[in-house]
Amino acid sequence: MKMLSLSHVAKNFGEKQVLRDVSFSVPEHTVFGFVGQNGAGKTTAMKMILGLLPVNSGEITVDGMPVRYGNTPTNRFIGYLPDVPEFYPYMTPSEYLRFCGEISGMPAKETKSRCEELLRLVGLEKEKHRIKGFSRGMKQRLGVAQALFGRPKLLICDEPTSALDPAGRKELLDILTAAKEETTVLFSTHILSDVEHICDEMAFLHEGKIALKGSLDEVRKLKKASAVTVEMEYPEDTKALRQAFPFLKAAGKNSLLLEEAERLPELLHWIADRRYPVMRIERQEADLEDLFMEVVGK
Amino acid sequence: MNAFLKKEWMEWNRTGRSWILMLVFVLFGIMNPALAKLTPWLMEALSDSLADTGLVTTAVQVDAMTSWAQFYKNIPIGLIIFILIVSGNFTAEYEKGTLIPVITKGLSRWSVLAAKAVFLYGSWTVLYAVCFGITYGYNAYFWDNGIAGNLFFAAAYTWVFGIWTVALLIFFSAVSKSSSQVLLGTGGAALGVYLLSVFPKLDAFLPARLLRGLDLLQRAKSPGDYHANIAAAGLMVLLCMVLSVGCFDRKQL
Repeated sequence: MKMLSLSHVAKNFGEKQVLRDVSFSVPEHTVFGFVGQNGAGKTTAMKMILGLLPVNSGEITVDGMPVRYGNTPTNRFIGYLPDVPEFYPYMTPSEYLRFCGEISGMPAKETKSRCEELLRLVGLEKEKHRIKGFSRGMKQRLGVAQALFGRPKLLICDEPTSALDPAGRKELLDILTAAKEETTVLFSTHILSDVEHICDEMAFLHEGKIALKGSLDEVRKLKKASAVTVEMEYPEDTKALRQAFPFLKAAGKNSLLLEEAERLPELLHWIADRRYPVMRIERQEADLEDLFMEVVGK
Repeated sequence: MNAFLKKEWMEWNRTGRSWILMLVFVLFGIMNPALAKLTPWLMEALSDSLADTGLVTTAVQVDAMTSWAQFYKNIPIGLIIFILIVSGNFTAEYEKGTLIPVITKGLSRWSVLAAKAVFLYGSWTVLYAVCFGITYGYNAYFWDNGIAGNLFFAAAYTWVFGIWTVALLIFFSAVSKSSSQVLLGTGGAALGVYLLSVFPKLDAFLPARLLRGLDLLQRAKSPGDYHANIAAAGLMVLLCMVLSVGCFDRKQL
């Protein structure tokens, strides 16, 4: 069952085409990473899912229901954490959460228990001060609590970890992973290690299009065979090797980089025949970082 | 909607907005009779210097009418202060993005607009009633309100003018992005109507005429003369509300 699907969504602000043709879907109970550079259009796409921005073409559905711009009934299923969450500064965290319960029509008793539960979850249970003096990290925590408040079917987080310190980031990622049991999570980020830690599926947004998508393993497999670094003991051997295989690239003192990993046996054969001493042969780990760079063409 | 009303109430109290406005309207309420009461004394104190300039002061007669004249002079200023203070009621939320978590929780935009409108109309009504009540009380104590004709009609008509201004404010709040745009729009529209009412033909049905309560008190006009103005104000309030709902629904937050 798909919780969210976008089909051929396009969006432009005046002349500027932000999204050209974006299609992807998020299955139920997954953590979906929405990756892209700053300014790639992640926030725009999320705001369209929330009916906060009109789409120019294409369709978005949440839990099978189409999203309408303005007043969209689909928002009843969604919890949203904006990139810079802003709350009423004159309220305390628990007052704000109670207000959230009231506007979503939750019974008073449930509101109270949910409020306590979530404040404990995000570590604000002892905070009796008004939101006015909160740091960005604290607002982010409260943001998580309010987003999860109504037990949404779909949780949308816009760069939730970018304002947090390492400990806070770890906690937040744990919260999102735990939330998977109850809900479906879509979160945007440009921090790839976050994706590697918690996502089941992901999509890369680049130049207004989905450049890559699939499960984490699928995406990793798409990456060409990884490059290999060869380090020789003596400079003259390195030189000879380079003359024999002109496609090798210099990668530091006595080190050579072989980008076409399939030619490695050929290379090893050549070295073995000559009995040249080798310091190190290392296969470079294929990580999302490389993939990201490959996708954005840098 | 109730939850949002509660939130507005909390906002008004905790940001001190309600206290400031209450203070202003109470002060105005007291000032009207106080100024009337002080007029003879002021005249007497000034009579010597006035005599030097060749003006001769005689005994000044003050009554409830003097105080009501002050009331109708001051209430437009009260209304302006009210509009100035509440002009950011919507736009501060757009600028800070505080409505985003609310709307994305599925609260309809209609409820937000309705709660804010009810609150603004309500607070104008309460503040106006307080100011009127205080002046009325003092006047009854010092003099006799019976001297003023159509007292409640005149008061109600001025209240309608305030409601009309608040409706303009809500409409401009639904379409603008900043409080200065709201002020410009509301002020511009009110001033425009005020200027247009210089022409007697237009004055017969423009809301600006509702502010001139003194004509009613002095029995120069009868309440029935204002039917067209009331109807026009009512229609414009309705139109403003319908347009506000439409615009607010499509507004980019």
